[in-house]
This record gives sequence, structure tokens and C-alpha cells, in this order.
Amino acid sequence: MTCQVKSKVKRLASLLLFASAAAAQMRVMALPTNSPLVAFRIVFTAGSADDPPAKPGLAYLTAMMLSDGSTRTQTYREIEDSLFPMAASFSAQVDKEMSTFIGETHVDNLEGYYKLVRGMLLEPGWREEDFKRVKDDAINGIKSGLRNNDEELGKEVLYSEIYQGMSYSHYSMGTVTSLEAIKLDDVKHFYASHYAQAKLILGISGGYKPAFLERMKKDFRQLPAAAGFQPRREEPRPIDATRAVIVDKDTRSVAISLGFPISCTRRNPDYAALLVASSYLGQHRMSGSVLYDEMREKRGLNYGDYSYIEYFPRGMYQMEPSPNLGRRYQIFQIWIRPVQPSTTKFALRLATYELDKLIKDGLSQDGFAMTRDFVTKYINVLMRTQSAQLGFAIDGLYYDRPDFAGKLKQDLAKLTLADVNRVIRRYLRVDRLMIAVVSNNGEELKQQLVSDDPSPMIYNSPKPASVTDVDKIVEKWPLHLKADAIKVVPVDRVFQ
Amino acid sequence: MVSRLSLSLSCAIFAAAAQTPPQKIFPYAYTQDDLPNGLRVVTVPTDFPNIVAVYIVVQTGSRNEVEPGHTGFAHLFEHLMFKGTEKYSQQRYNDAIKRMGGASNAFTTSDFTCFYTVFSKEDLPTVLAMEADRFQNLKYSEAEFKTETLAVLGEYNKNASSPFQKLNEALLDTAYSTHTYKHTTMGFLKDIQDMPNQYEYSQKFFSRYYRPEYVTIVVAGDVKAKAVRDLAVKDWGAWKPGDYKPGIPVEPPQDAPRTSHVAWNGRTLPLLAVAYKGPAYDDSTTDTAALDALSYLAFSENSELYQKLVIQEQKADALYASSPNQVDPSLFQVLARVKKAEDVEYVRGQILATVQHFQDKPVDGSRLDAVRKHLRYELALRMDNSETVAQVVAGYVALRRTPDTMNKLFEQYARLTPQDVQQAAAKYLTENARTIVTLDAVGAAK
Repeated sequence: MTCQVKSKVKRLASLLLFASAAAAQMRVMALPTNSPLVAFRIVFTAGSADDPPAKPGLAYLTAMMLSDGSTRTQTYREIEDSLFPMAASFSAQVDKEMSTFIGETHVDNLEGYYKLVRGMLLEPGWREEDFKRVKDDAINGIKSGLRNNDEELGKEVLYSEIYQGMSYSHYSMGTVTSLEAIKLDDVKHFYASHYAQAKLILGISGGYKPAFLERMKKDFRQLPAAAGFQPRREEPRPIDATRAVIVDKDTRSVAISLGFPISCTRRNPDYAALLVASSYLGQHRMSGSVLYDEMREKRGLNYGDYSYIEYFPRGMYQMEPSPNLGRRYQIFQIWIRPVQPSTTKFALRLATYELDKLIKDGLSQDGFAMTRDFVTKYINVLMRTQSAQLGFAIDGLYYDRPDFAGKLKQDLAKLTLADVNRVIRRYLRVDRLMIAVVSNNGEELKQQLVSDDPSPMIYNSPKPASVTDVDKIVEKWPLHLKADAIKVVPVDRVFQ
Repeated sequence: MVSRLSLSLSCAIFAAAAQTPPQKIFPYAYTQDDLPNGLRVVTVPTDFPNIVAVYIVVQTGSRNEVEPGHTGFAHLFEHLMFKGTEKYSQQRYNDAIKRMGGASNAFTTSDFTCFYTVFSKEDLPTVLAMEADRFQNLKYSEAEFKTETLAVLGEYNKNASSPFQKLNEALLDTAYSTHTYKHTTMGFLKDIQDMPNQYEYSQKFFSRYYRPEYVTIVVAGDVKAKAVRDLAVKDWGAWKPGDYKPGIPVEPPQDAPRTSHVAWNGRTLPLLAVAYKGPAYDDSTTDTAALDALSYLAFSENSELYQKLVIQEQKADALYASSPNQVDPSLFQVLARVKKAEDVEYVRGQILATVQHFQDKPVDGSRLDAVRKHLRYELALRMDNSETVAQVVAGYVALRRTPDTMNKLFEQYARLTPQDVQQAAAKYLTENARTIVTLDAVGAAK
């Protein structure tokens, strides 16, 4: 089945999608343009949530064996030799529900490039030397990469804690111990079980010919029709009280993330309203939102503070979210960038105070109108590359929201202030939070967080009464953290 | 009066083989306007609809921080420029950007500071007017200044958990004795910590460098050159030029190899940087192009050494090299992350042997052709929307104030012979010009 967003049949796409899933056929998202470039996003709706309980990281290793490994007929060196002159890319992104292969080439090289991609995805070489390398890379990615990136580490710990006891709880790359134990046969088995047409969304955009797409579809029909496993699915457990985990490591400053599960995804009619609320509170990497203004601009606490209603990895490197991180379950999250250790408690108090204020007061009419206008127009900026358009269109299929961008604009146009303030009260809260902190002297910080002592700010310049008056409230703002609700974990044990 | 250079170029993206006269690599017709005050405006209408990207390049980076104790000020200004003016307070500026659904941000390099805004085409007059206002009438109080220096410290802090950041600091500090490339764009930590006390100096810095002769505005996207020019004259024409020229210290020739080691507080795989003093950016000779090509030939993913160390022996999990285009002589750098501390010496030896090999023997012509092809397709793939077109142009404008810089450099790539690469390796990658820095966890074997 081909679903072209620009075609007249797009309004029927959700029905077709349903029909195609029932028939266990691959889905296709094709966006032909006149561009001299061709972008691929080949998505399998299988990810780390499908890892067997004893084998976290298996979905990740499987995807890496395909994107960074050999094929039956070509060594990895031969593949790299062929890719180099094209300057073409091919990479994998693995999340809870999706394994996505992302590539782009100039149309001059389309045939040669596709031949490589086809070999890598459909005829993997499964060589032990490739396996040893990608496994080492994953282990070092945790030990040397993630553990030396305090902000990303804090966010992943937050997600892991929130989803304790369900298939979302482990880091998508796995754990060190599990990665060490996974065998090449496990990877082959995962591939055989999950890389099936029923789970495939073939995405392509750019200046390819229709016959090319037909050939591609035919090639991918080599995959088994149906997937062997039904994934385990269970709702996140409720959080009974505000809890914190402190990752203890030798570091200069303190990275903080906090959040809780929400039942709203892009499928939900409340999504547009919640998106406006989150943008108002903390639009990613932009000034002018509440958290950024209050924490960074007025008080100089750190480099920036933002809020999210969807998983957003690599936020320190990316100005916009990556597509194809579709999830059944999302969380509301506040990201407080590293603060000076002496201001940790105040920063945490201020963030929760602002969240509380948002819930109690809602947005003003002006704040609502401006944020709604921003989000509506920002969709154009978000969709400015064909790879992004393709990615978000594929997510539209996943969430059963074809023409995601167009539909979102329509939803935003219909929104009222009352809608936004209603969803804020429905989905957001300041109690029963999960807090993840990456800090030096973890035990000491734990004692501070448990105590009800005030945490006054000392500034290096005079502040207006509008700031100091709020500070008098914030410095005593209750965090409701009990000693037995805080655990301190040495960094070497995180995702070990 | 505005002097104008209009260049209509062929849309052929790809230069032909080295023997035939190369076509221009930059595929867009652009207009270059010089205002009498020294401001330059480059307009690049693209085929991508609706979106416009404005990139404002100030040819001031950490290189311009010539006075001791004041490193990091170019970057600090990247922040301060968002503090507002009498007409457009910070709040009003932010609200305007928000209303237009735009994205506005900035970045700083060693050679330039760049302020960029991406938005829908109907907002062009507002954006150019607001930008003109803040470049001419920036106003911030001492209290606001002090608070913003804390955000800069916060930026340093968030970078500090990366061992690569620490390695880079040590590499620059060791390789340079005199030139301002000795410090990173962030600046020395002690200078960042002292920034709150430097309000008056900040005003001096602004008055020196935020002048039209340092600035080029790049406008790319769904625009017409005349409209951009008219707006530039209206909003930016009255901006007064300055006369400050920094005395940037010249790095003396290095006369012996240098080394240093960073002990990392925490677990990490060992890092190794092998660097050499290279030339300043120059598109009138083949040196810059040759060293760039060498970085690919010797160290990219399909190079012999990468295949040996990363794919076959698997002793390193990362290996890459860069030969940056910078205004003053820069560092040709090779970086490796080694899996075991005991293999660092071996990897170091392999990198040095590879350098020696390229000095001894000319590379195969077909491999050089593959690099040329790679560079051309890389550029074509990158310029896939108006923002990245502006971004690419900004990088070249920072060097020579014109997009034609890109054409000239690619002409040098096209001319390059295996002998040029060999000669550049022999000329620059010498033992005396070398700096090696290692980083490993405290207590690990060195």
C-alpha cells in the first residue's frame, strides 16, 4: 500500500492503515519531490520494549549489526569504501517502539546507494568480528559516553525510574552486563522474529522515480510477512509519592530532570492543547518561555530550562526533536540544565513552584494567543527538510494521525484558552514527581533535599522586588521528599 | 550609494575532473551589496518556499580576545546581544520572534560570532529591523550583565562533564604559546568566573567589534535581492563604522614537539590527540585544500588506518581528523578514543607512521578523486534547505566576506594533485610542529 500525503486519498489513510496492518503488509510513506536528494527512513515498529527481559539492548545491537555491519556479499570495509565518495549517510536509531534506519543520498548515486542499503537490511552478513565491534561500541557508549554526559544521563535515569517494572524501564542501548552476555544468535533470532513486513514502514522522499519505489517494495517483500512475537505491553505504574534518585559522580555542577507519566500522545485529541502548554512553560532551547525566563534570565541559575510532553533525547545537541521516536507512553518532563551545587535545592523548588503556578493560574489570553501562534508557525520550521517531513509523516502513520502537520495546525486553530487550561489541570501535577539528579556528594545532597530548611538565593547583583518577593516563597517551597524516597546510586552502577 | 555585485552562476553542482576548468560549486545566484558604512549584505534566493534564514556574521571570535583576563568575551556577547534595546526590550524581541514562529539563536567560533533567525518570508522586514536595532542600540544594565555571566558559567558547567571538552582545552593551551587560539571559545574558566566584574570592559568590547565593517548579513531563502537591499539601507544605513583593529599576537614557529596529559576524574576510555600547526586559510594556493584532503585520505572511515585500528584490530572505537579553515594558522588534528590504556602508545605510533607514509609516498589518484567527489556531494547534501544554505555561506563569509570563497576553495580541490598532498604533509606535519595530548582516568596507565 502506498500512502502519498499529497494525494487526495490521504483522508482515507487511517482506514487503509488499519486494513494493511490486518493483512500484515508493509506500509509505505512516499513523498516524491523534485529535489536532487533522496531521503530514506525505513522504520520497523520493534524496539527496546521488545527486548526479552533478560536481554536489554538486543533490539539496539540488532539494528547496529545492520547499519554498521557487513552483508552476505560485502565486508564492512567494502561498504564504507562505496559509501565514501557518495558522502551518503546510513544510520540507525533505536527507541522503545521503533528501530529506524535513516539515510540520504544524491540522486546521482541512488542506484549504488540503494544496493548497499538493500544488502545491509535484507542480507546481513552476521559476522562475529562486526558483532564484537558493535557490542564494544554499545558498552563503551554507556561506560564512557552516557556516564560522561550528565544531562543525557539524568534524563535516561528519569525515564528508567518512571517506567520501573515495565518494558520501557531499561535504557534502549541496554545495560553493560546484558550487552556483554548477548550472543550473535540472539541478534539473528531477534531479526528473524521482528524484522517483518507487518512491522515495516518504508519511507522515501525526494527525486526518485515511481519505478524505483516499486522495486524497493518488491525487495522488502522478501521479509517474512508477520512478526513472530507479540510485544509485552503494560501501562506505567503510578508513582505513589515524590521520589528522587541521585546519581553520585565527580562532577562540577548538578544536572536535574523531573517528570511523571502522562496518558497523552499524538493520538490524543488533547495533544495540541498540551503542546501549547508545554511550549509556554518551556519551549526547547528557546528564550521567552516561563522556565527559561524565571530560572536563567532573571536569576542566572544555569544555561536553560525547558519542558516536554514527548521523549526528546540529545537535547543538548539538537534544536528540534528527532522524528521516529513514537511511543505508546509518554512522560511530562522538566529539564533543568546543570546548576551550581549551592543552588540545587532552590532550582528544584523554583521549577516546581512555576509548574504549580501554571496549574493554578493557567495561561493568560495573551500568553495563549502568542504561544498558539508560535507553535502553529513553528511547524513550518520543524518540517523544513525533506527527511524531517518524511519522519513526521511516518509518525503520523504510527499514531494513526495521517498528515500530522496539517492536522495539528487545524487542531491549534480550533483551540481556546479554556481548552489549554483544562488539559493543564488534567495532565499536569506537582505531587508524585520522579526526580533524577546527577551530582557530586550524593549523600550530602540527599540530606539537603529531605530537610525543610530554607534555601535562600544569594545573587551577584541587585534584584527587583518582583524577583525577591517570589524568592521568599520559593526558598521554603515544599518538595515533599522523604529520606526513604531518595536513593543515591554511584554512577558506575547506572545501567550496569 | 550601494555598490553591488550580482553573480549569476550556473546551477551545475558538480565540478568536472581535475583537468577541465572547474565550474562553480555554489549553485545559487547571489547578490552582494556593500553599504558605504562597510556593512555587507549577501542575498541568496533559493528554490525552497516560504522559509527565510538570516545569518549575521560578526568577524569577531575568541581570536579577537587579545587582552589577558578577558577571554570568552566574544562568546559572552553572543549572550548579551539578546538583552534588548530601548525600542525592543528583551521581552518584546522574544514576543516578536514567538509570534512569527521563528527560531532565533547564535553561536561563536574562534573566528566569528553568528546570530541567526529562521522564519516565514512575510516577517523579513520585522526581522531585519529588529536585528539592525540590537546591533546599533544594544542596552543592558550592570545587573543584567552580571546575571548573564552566570548563564555563561552554566554553559561552561554543562560542557564540563565531557572528557572531549577537557582534551580540547588542553590541546589548544599546549599547542599555542602566544596566539589567541590558545583558549577555547568559552574562554579560560578563571576569566569566566571573573566576568561579573567586567561590565565596563564589555562595553569597550561591544564598541570595538559591533561595527558595520566587521559584519556581513546573509539572507537566504524565499526572498528577492532588491527587497533585502532596500531594507538593509533603511535599517542599517545609519550605523556608524569604527576604527578598531586588534593586534592579534602572531604565534612564533614551534621548534620542538610538545606533549601534555590530562587526568580525568572519573571513568573514561583514554583519548589521544595528535595535532600539527597548519596554515591559515588560503584559497590562492593548494595548501588548505591539500591538508583537508589529507585528513580524509589518511583518517576517514575508508582509510587504511581507520580500517586497521577500528574495524580489524578494534583497538580504537573512534578515529577522525580535521583540518579546520581558520583565519590564522590552525591545528591539523587527529583524534582517537582507545579501548585499552595499554594500547595508547601503539595507536599513537600508528598515527605517526601514517603521517610518515603520506609524506613519503604520493597517494593514488583515484583515492584523491574519491575525496573530491565526497566533498562535492557532502556540500550538496548539506544544502538541503534555506537555513543550511545560509549556514554554509556564513562559514565562508567569516573567512573572506563572500560566498565566492567556497568556489575558490573547491577550485583548489579540483586542481589538487597527489604531489600537492604529499608536499603539504611534508611541509606542515613535522615533528617540531607537533603536539600530542592524552587524557585518561586518574590512576590509569599512561
